[in-house]
Amino acid sequence: MEKFKKRFSLLSAIIQAWFDKPETVGYPFLPLVLPEGFRGAIVIDPDKCTGCGLCVRDCPAGGLRLEKKSRDEFKLMHHPASCAYCGQCERSCLRGAISHSNALVAATTDARELVVVLKEKQG
Amino acid sequence: MRKITVPIGPQHPLLKEPLSMKLEISGERVLGGTLRLGYVHRGIEKLAQQRTYVQNVHLIERICGICSHVHTTTYCSAVEAILGIEIPPRAQYIRALMCELERIHSHLLWLGILAKHVGLDTIFMHAWHDRELVLDIMESISGGRVSHAANEIGGVRFDLDEENETLIRTNISKLHDQVSGVLDVIENEPALQARTRGVAPISTDLIRQYCMVGPIARASGLDVDLRRDDPWPPYDRLDFNVITHPDGDAWARTIVRAEETRESLHLCEAILRDLPGGDVTVRAPRKVPAGEAVTRSEAPRGEVFYYLRSDGSDQPARLKIRTPTLPALSLLPEQLSAINVADIPVVLAGIDLCIACADR
Repeated sequence: MEKFKKRFSLLSAIIQAWFDKPETVGYPFLPLVLPEGFRGAIVIDPDKCTGCGLCVRDCPAGGLRLEKKSRDEFKLMHHPASCAYCGQCERSCLRGAISHSNALVAATTDARELVVVLKEKQG
Repeated sequence: MRKITVPIGPQHPLLKEPLSMKLEISGERVLGGTLRLGYVHRGIEKLAQQRTYVQNVHLIERICGICSHVHTTTYCSAVEAILGIEIPPRAQYIRALMCELERIHSHLLWLGILAKHVGLDTIFMHAWHDRELVLDIMESISGGRVSHAANEIGGVRFDLDEENETLIRTNISKLHDQVSGVLDVIENEPALQARTRGVAPISTDLIRQYCMVGPIARASGLDVDLRRDDPWPPYDRLDFNVITHPDGDAWARTIVRAEETRESLHLCEAILRDLPGGDVTVRAPRKVPAGEAVTRSEAPRGEVFYYLRSDGSDQPARLKIRTPTLPALSLLPEQLSAINVADIPVVLAGIDLCIACADR
């Protein structure tokens, strides 16, 4: 019996696999459930953002750009193709204006299409 | 018999990462070989000198896709040592928890690759299926499957709530059963034993000569583990066994890594049980005073060494990294001599090379 067990040690695992459900998720045909804290697309609360640029200063991947003419005239942009989704902007923002949502960023053939203007303030 | 030279790599189905080998082959025997490295050199050490300490945490994390957390832990410890700050105990425990989870997922990934190379696809599927449980924990608590961004200078970024702890306990308990099942299979599987026993044994003398570290050294009977020999908190308070094996062959490396996986599961449970309360981060200044620090950690493949020198600005003056794959690569030509051609995948998989770590 011991010899049989040793010779066919994989057999039970193989038989079990016939009855197990597939482990893969049928995304995009079925919804993909992501955990709440998943670092996905960048979102901003425009009321809180003052255009101070702390997020841009600490961004390690150059995913955020700030075009600032004055305190009342600036444009903050996010480049998802450059973004490392590390969450540093969220940590650096003193006002809690910028954060990650748990939504996935759509695929595209042209990275320029993905650029998002997070906040534009004109004086 | 006529000698021929067979080039393998840098792009080859056998290799997960680019590495070029030229093997001298006579009939079915490999007589020796030479290596060429540097195909994934990204200049990370130089790049680190041009970025701030905060930005470097994310750069360092991208050195390796498997042991990313242990790299940032060692880097952050070096910066914290120069700053003279001590992170809160809860942050220390969470860092250690992530390190152990990383070790489990690295060893299961490795076991899958070894099984795939020897033709045991069932074990490959099982090991990688079980690894998903660890990745689920990591994604759920940190927000990323591979790049966790868990560390920051002064602590960790996230705290564990009750829901996280329940998920970790549930998945660890499932892993205990599944890892025991896989271990049972590999210990009794004659095909795996036939392919790994006695293949490319490394003597303890050779291990010392090449300064080998981690599971490869332990599989040759050398009792070294930084978690016990030079512990950072909370490892000095945790009780665990250092797994060693006297044989030094590919089979010994399999058993050491498999048993270490089980030991890490126990460590995760102990960390969760002893997890202290309190904050998970302390405020760290952006500029680091002039000074230097050396920190070491036990990564899944062995000792990771960091040397950091600061000149008082917000960017490092020098960052030197030594990864455990470097001595393993030095020993590789030696291991690839006097083996059969069919054993090349077993030797390569048995070492668990991480070229991205070594090249940086």
